[in-house]
Amino acid sequence: MPGPIQPIIDTINQQIPLEGFLIVAAVMFAIGAWGAVIRRNAVVVFMCVEIMINAVNLTLVAFADFLPSAAGLGASYAALIIAIAAAEVAVGLAIVLAIFRSRRTVNIDEVNSMRG
Amino acid sequence: MPVTGEAIVGLLPEIIATVFLFVVLLGGVFAGERNSGLVGALATLGALATFASAAVLLAVGFEGTFFGDSYAVDNFSLFFKLIVSGTAFFTVIAATRWAGTTGDAPEYMTLILSVVVGAMLLASMRDLFGLFLALEIATIPSYAMVAFDRSRRESAEGGMKYLVTGVIASSVLLYGLVLIYGVTGSANLTQVAEAFSGELTPVGLVGIGLMLSGFAFKLSAAPFHFWTPDAYQGAPTSAAAFLSVAPKAATFAVLLRILVEGLPGATTTWASILAVIAIITMFVGNLSALRQRNVRRMLAFSSVAHSGYILVAFAAIQGGGQQTGIQAVLIYSAAYAVMNLGAFFAIDLVGEDAKSFNGLFKTQPALALCMGVFMAALVGIPPFSGFFGKAWVILAGAQSGSILVYAAVGALVINSVISLPYYFGIVRNMFLEEPVSGGVARKDDGGVRFSVYALAILTTVFILFFGLLVTLTGASGLL
Repeated sequence: MPGPIQPIIDTINQQIPLEGFLIVAAVMFAIGAWGAVIRRNAVVVFMCVEIMINAVNLTLVAFADFLPSAAGLGASYAALIIAIAAAEVAVGLAIVLAIFRSRRTVNIDEVNSMRG
Repeated sequence: MPVTGEAIVGLLPEIIATVFLFVVLLGGVFAGERNSGLVGALATLGALATFASAAVLLAVGFEGTFFGDSYAVDNFSLFFKLIVSGTAFFTVIAATRWAGTTGDAPEYMTLILSVVVGAMLLASMRDLFGLFLALEIATIPSYAMVAFDRSRRESAEGGMKYLVTGVIASSVLLYGLVLIYGVTGSANLTQVAEAFSGELTPVGLVGIGLMLSGFAFKLSAAPFHFWTPDAYQGAPTSAAAFLSVAPKAATFAVLLRILVEGLPGATTTWASILAVIAIITMFVGNLSALRQRNVRRMLAFSSVAHSGYILVAFAAIQGGGQQTGIQAVLIYSAAYAVMNLGAFFAIDLVGEDAKSFNGLFKTQPALALCMGVFMAALVGIPPFSGFFGKAWVILAGAQSGSILVYAAVGALVINSVISLPYYFGIVRNMFLEEPVSGGVARKDDGGVRFSVYALAILTTVFILFFGLLVTLTGASGLL
């Protein structure tokens, strides 16, 4: 970051403790999990899952930045997780498309031909 | 860290499976869509070569850890690689004809082989993020496998339910792993074990809890089992058979490795959690299976119950039961693989309604006898494979010296009795009822028939391999 912005960011960074990041991430994860459980539209459920995975990534990057023994490896793990999440959603959207073709709906609670 | 020749030898089963994965995919492109027989043969060859390489490594006693101590090749992991590739062998043979009719045989075989690669990597991983990657390599193709059958509406529906619960479970599991990583500062299980040797921190405890919940989803353990019946009912039969055995066995393997190698300091915590999960899982699985008229759904709930039986062995890994508990997980996984795979394939030949089994002994005696063998094995009747699994779990539980585990073993015995009616309901239908008149004659499938007969024989002669199995698992390399 060029110019005068970098010192400001550094000051802010120094004042936020690790717990701050962890709490924000935990709240994000809870919001995502809540949404994934109550929303009916499959696409919105995937968006909620993305929020959950991004919360995990935030936790991971925060740990990697603050823990001396982590040696910065956390950032590369985060890149790995982003790639996995993308693959999951790619397969997910393909299946949602297959559902939509045969039923004209992507609402999870309307797709319930199996019981018992 | 450089890649040594030894590492390549250790990775041989995975490398062979990966090479065949691409050969099958490209071979399918060049062979054209009519030539599903060739694709099936290539995939069978791949599974066989993978099995052979893992068997050779096991026979020569190959051991070592590679890539900075994050990948362990030992008897324990090779044993699970044998289960995974052996399962894949029978699945590929049974699926060839069916996959040909969909017109997408190469894709289906590729999916099976990629689950094999992921499951084999999973059995060896000693690194928290590596194991998450391997778990996803095994899981993501399995969503596609469940949703593969475009001629049945249930298939995509089962796939979606499996996928939605699966991705939520993955992120919960990942959160647990990240918290454990945060407490440890390293993803390697050796360092995790050091960090968790003392008093548990709250963050560490939450991490263990989230990780176990994520694994409970993947293993279809209660209360996270609800996706199982829908996914297995919707999936093509070969996919349901394969997914109920191979990835599950590998997930048990990696869970065992994390708990025994990574978290030995927290044994009492996770053993008690798993004992409670096991008791609930057994009761939920068996009581739900009693109500089912659809055999596929019934077997799905039965697989939930069997996850519970294996989790009892996990809970028994404490006190004097450590070695026996690990042995019990290995033996039960092998026993479960042969009997459950066979039972699912038999549905493919008969039909998924319980009534379609009526009078099978009169029309197809050999098939009825095979199904009888699988049912008896799933109950745990002595000469068949399931008995040895259950016997070893009970033995481990008796040695563990914990009241909670004794309760779990008691629940296991009670549940074996509860499970009798639904397994023997099918046996009674086959031997005592009259054949249903005007039932649709199903197209005979030689590949499925071969797999069913071979697995029935394996389930019956399991006793001959048992001595070998005990020696092998006694020196599993874990502990």
